[in-house]
Amino acid sequence: MATRNPPFRFNPGRFAVLATLGFAVCFYGIPLLWLFIAGTRSEASLLGESPYALGSWDAFARTWTNLTTYNNFQIGTWALNSAIYSVGGVLLSLVASIPGGYALALSEFPGRKLILIATLIAMITPSTAVVLPIFLEMNLIGLNNTYAGLILASGFFPFGVYLTYVYFSTSLPRGVMDSARVDGANRFQLFTRIGLPLARPIVALVAFFSFLGIWSNYFLAFVLLSDDKLYNLPVGLTALVSGSGALSNLPSNDVPIRKPEVVLAAILVVLPVLVIFIAAQRFVRSGMLSGAEKG
Amino acid sequence: MAAAAVTTGAPIDPERARKARRKGWRDARMSYLLLLPYLLLLVMFGVVPVAYSFGLSFFDTIEMTFYGVSNYEFVFQDFRIPASAFNVLSFVMLWVTLTMIGVAALSLMLDSVRRRTATVLRTIYFLPGAVTSSAIVVLWLFVLDPTVSPFQPALHVLGWTTRADVISGVGLAGIFAIMAYFSQSGGWIVVFGGSLASLPGEVMEAARIDGANRLQLALRIKLPMIWRSLVLMGILSFAAGLQLFVEPQLMALAGPQFAQNDWSLNQMAFQYAFRMGDFGASAALSTLLVGSSILIALLIVFATKFYKID
Repeated sequence: MATRNPPFRFNPGRFAVLATLGFAVCFYGIPLLWLFIAGTRSEASLLGESPYALGSWDAFARTWTNLTTYNNFQIGTWALNSAIYSVGGVLLSLVASIPGGYALALSEFPGRKLILIATLIAMITPSTAVVLPIFLEMNLIGLNNTYAGLILASGFFPFGVYLTYVYFSTSLPRGVMDSARVDGANRFQLFTRIGLPLARPIVALVAFFSFLGIWSNYFLAFVLLSDDKLYNLPVGLTALVSGSGALSNLPSNDVPIRKPEVVLAAILVVLPVLVIFIAAQRFVRSGMLSGAEKG
Repeated sequence: MAAAAVTTGAPIDPERARKARRKGWRDARMSYLLLLPYLLLLVMFGVVPVAYSFGLSFFDTIEMTFYGVSNYEFVFQDFRIPASAFNVLSFVMLWVTLTMIGVAALSLMLDSVRRRTATVLRTIYFLPGAVTSSAIVVLWLFVLDPTVSPFQPALHVLGWTTRADVISGVGLAGIFAIMAYFSQSGGWIVVFGGSLASLPGEVMEAARIDGANRLQLALRIKLPMIWRSLVLMGILSFAAGLQLFVEPQLMALAGPQFAQNDWSLNQMAFQYAFRMGDFGASAALSTLLVGSSILIALLIVFATKFYKID
């Protein structure tokens, strides 16, 4: 690279670019780095020492014990709930998206265009816009405060249908379908024998995006669930903070949840997504390109 | 189209045509069957909630009597509504501006450095995307508190020693804009990294031969080529920003003196339903909010060619 470029003297433009990129590294990187270090520090260390002081194993172990023993391992219940909502919601979104997107891409039938347009509108409309309408509806049919209610609502994932639709309409060789047709396979066999095996990459992609949305869903869970046994982790985290006043810098009460415990709980919310981001980096990148770069 | 492949070339034969029609109907039936789970969800969580709150907005939900447009009048006469509309609009303006400038600038800059460096930096910018919903507010309540913040030296330089100083110094709209930018811009930077990498190399080469320097290349060639996608990002962010709820709602985590329960429009709709038990007023405000989102979506789908349908 360096050999192709003309030799540089001091170049103010170049310097400005590198300075800006470096500043951005601090802006994006430092809060996240701080969060993970702060999980190993004690309350006294957080308040008294330099913001960049390192923690200790002892402090981390104490924080972990405080957090997990609080209210009978309540954080464990919330984590389990989050897992239940995520697994249920992701499975449901797959069952709905994959055959749906396939049918929209590969067959012609009355109402197809209408469904496509409705899907696009539902996909562009921010999901937060329908949270209160969904609450009003759930209130009517009595699905508030149930696992089923939140799982059903989060299984509706129009973006997944759109991704599948784009995938099948661009990457499935039509010739394959036609020859299988001539060989006498019916529509359903075409889907199970040819569509599904080819759908593996898109299944992973839809599952990834739908997991992201469901795992970190706060607003819908907050509105639909009022029983704290049913909370997911993001709602549980806020219950933990508001129940203990740990972030308010007021004289502390005797609840063992203080700043380090809150940090640790926040890490629990963030960590699964972070791990998936890092593990599936290249895959995520290609997926976001095909998904987010429309037209 | 599969059916067409089977029938093309055959002479017109009424028996055959009838068979093909029946086959067409069977094909359509199979398509509906494959779509059934999705359609059920679409109706239950797309169509019905919107229609139901639209209907509900014309009723007095406490007495269950028809109310005409009284709920809408009530909402428009609530003195908190103009204030929260102003709050939301100032947040959206700040956030969309920050996102468009920040994402465009960082993407173009990354496109001008060595590829391996760019990949590492892009990953760092992208990771905060894992911090969402309530975790992002909790994290930033720490970051904005000069007693524990990793940006403590910078905050002290600005003369801020308490969280209240920082919040009044930056302003709530600015703080929410920074939170949203922190977690959401990285994904877009990854997306634009991809679109910039796929721009035709000949054009760049030709511009370089014509003597364009890196800055001219970025501003006159690359920027116009990604401009449409930048605008789409701006519109999508605008639509999402109007629905702001989580960030202001969770300010109360920092203590009662920071609570902002009626800062945004969506919070007002929440307040009507949950604090006042007035589902009609809540439905009216929700209808207005969903309606504006749907209008924006219709605009994107029909007035632009951003999304492909066929």
